[in-house]
Amino acid sequence: MASVEIRNVYKSFGPVEVIHGIDVDIADRELVVLVGPSGCGKSTLLRMIAGLEDITAGEIAIGERVVNRVPAKERNIAMVFQSYALYPHMTVYRNMSFGLRMRKIPKDEQDRRIAWAADILELTDYLKRYPRQLSGGQRQRVAMGRALVREPIAFLFDEPLSNLDAQLRVQMRTEIRELHQRLQTTMIYVTHDQVEAMTLADRIVVMRDGYIEQIGAPAHVYDRPANTFVAGFIGSPQMNLLPGTLGADGGIALEGGVTVRPDGNLPAEPGRAVLYGIRPEDLRLVGEGEGFALTLDVVETTGREIELFGTLGARRLCVLLQARASVRPGETVWVSPDPARAHVFDAETGVRLDAAGPA
Amino acid sequence: MRGARASAADGGRWLSEAPVDLWTLARWAGTAAVVLFFIFPMIFMFMVSLKTQPDIASGGFLPEEWFWQNYPDAWNSVAVGTYLRNSIVAAALGALVTLVIAVPATHAIVRYRIGGKFLPAFILATYVAPPIVALFPLFFLLRSIGLVNTLFGMALVYGVMNLPVAFWLLSSFVRRLPEELEDAARIDGAGYGSVLLRVTVPLLMPGIISTGIICLILAYNEFLLASFLTRSESTQTLPVGLSLYQGDRQLRYGQMSVASLIGIVPVYLLAMFFQRWLIRGLTAGGTK
Repeated sequence: MASVEIRNVYKSFGPVEVIHGIDVDIADRELVVLVGPSGCGKSTLLRMIAGLEDITAGEIAIGERVVNRVPAKERNIAMVFQSYALYPHMTVYRNMSFGLRMRKIPKDEQDRRIAWAADILELTDYLKRYPRQLSGGQRQRVAMGRALVREPIAFLFDEPLSNLDAQLRVQMRTEIRELHQRLQTTMIYVTHDQVEAMTLADRIVVMRDGYIEQIGAPAHVYDRPANTFVAGFIGSPQMNLLPGTLGADGGIALEGGVTVRPDGNLPAEPGRAVLYGIRPEDLRLVGEGEGFALTLDVVETTGREIELFGTLGARRLCVLLQARASVRPGETVWVSPDPARAHVFDAETGVRLDAAGPA
Repeated sequence: MRGARASAADGGRWLSEAPVDLWTLARWAGTAAVVLFFIFPMIFMFMVSLKTQPDIASGGFLPEEWFWQNYPDAWNSVAVGTYLRNSIVAAALGALVTLVIAVPATHAIVRYRIGGKFLPAFILATYVAPPIVALFPLFFLLRSIGLVNTLFGMALVYGVMNLPVAFWLLSSFVRRLPEELEDAARIDGAGYGSVLLRVTVPLLMPGIISTGIICLILAYNEFLLASFLTRSESTQTLPVGLSLYQGDRQLRYGQMSVASLIGIVPVYLLAMFFQRWLIRGLTAGGTK
């Protein structure tokens, strides 16, 4: 078990710098998810922790040992790849025992660990099969098993669920979470799926273009996104971001002649251009004359909830209702935002402006 | 198709009743022409092997009489068996030398871009030069290590000679191998050598075997270097042996054909035996 510290790490491929000096401290036994759109550098960072990529500048320490010059095979970490990377010429048993054989673990100990992992992952009946004889979900489990039996000081996951169908993905997500609680080992998990990130993580690291945009607990990142990128990336359906102007009285004049009054301390700079952010579920339907009017373009229902889309000014606004409501496209409804759950960002930099608000 | 099967059931004369597609017919004719084109020299050689010397001179296709005597004569006048053995040893050993060097070298060049763009181009460039330019340097190099006129020396020469071809063939196989398999092995605790031996080589096996066969055939057929670097019956290879049927006054075409036919057999057997390796893909199921 080990903490992982990433200190001012840079990565360049030739002349192209892809990671621009980032710092992350991952505590022992923590499950941290690196999340971001493709090309944000999250997989590269994971590969640097694994020892598969050189570190251009900065330091990575695993368990307080700086590993910049330690080859992958000596870092005692395990990794699960998106493609599973099972050895196609070896049986499930041999795949799982490979790392143990490399480390010269005695045979009976190998057998014990593989039996244990196969039991947890329900692979006991498949130990003699080859990867090509397994389904996608089973291959994924073998990849997990190969990591488990190693009893490493940290697990790295590189989008391990991306190749599974939706149902299996949800199931495996829960299993990984359970596994983490059971093993109490540091895990670093890379994904581009924000739902996966939210559900799995102790802490989320949101990355974009080789920079870290925000680090925090899932609820914190969700409730208090540090900037418009995080606000838009985390949460589905996306947060509504509406351009507006700060007024003298703490209100924000939005396009379309609507004024909103979010809680929190806003800078006293009347006339400053801002982005007002409100999540679809933080808008509710109110009686006529309250809030503001919204003419609906589209109504989508998922069974569990209803998404209403209307246009405010030149922007599309989404309202998410948990309760049933009999509304139709073309109808005008009255909508009111929850002022305690509103977000205000600088229009130019996208950085969060309000100091207070939900913690 | 259904019509053909039905008529086969009622009388077996399905061929005459099967609908003959003109396009199918043309394809068959085309295939037959190509096959004939390639197989004709073999048939011709077989005919020559059954002719008497005057018969060969007169130049017909079929022998006037079937003259089987060429077969024992060919064997007795020149040590075909010894040459065949020498050829097989030199070629097989040579292919082995090629693979032992080329597999790790190709892997390193392709995977770790050792030598950048220059080295791959340079390796192929060496193959463009005519082999005869290497004759004297090779002779003096071999002499300095005492390997002129030895089978081991020939194997070494063939091993090195075929490196560019082997690199060229293997590099496409290495490129197709998923890099993550090697990454996984490294994380699992394997060093460079272990990754190569336990993961890369087993998965490259179809490529290694087909490359090996091609190098073996190239070495097996080689004449120029062998004729210059070997001097005695115990080391000369079959192509050199074949040239010995040329006597002072006459060329014994019949016996030469016999020896040639014998020489072809091992190569054909090899190709047939390893056919499944040449087309089999081993990487199925490892990565998705």
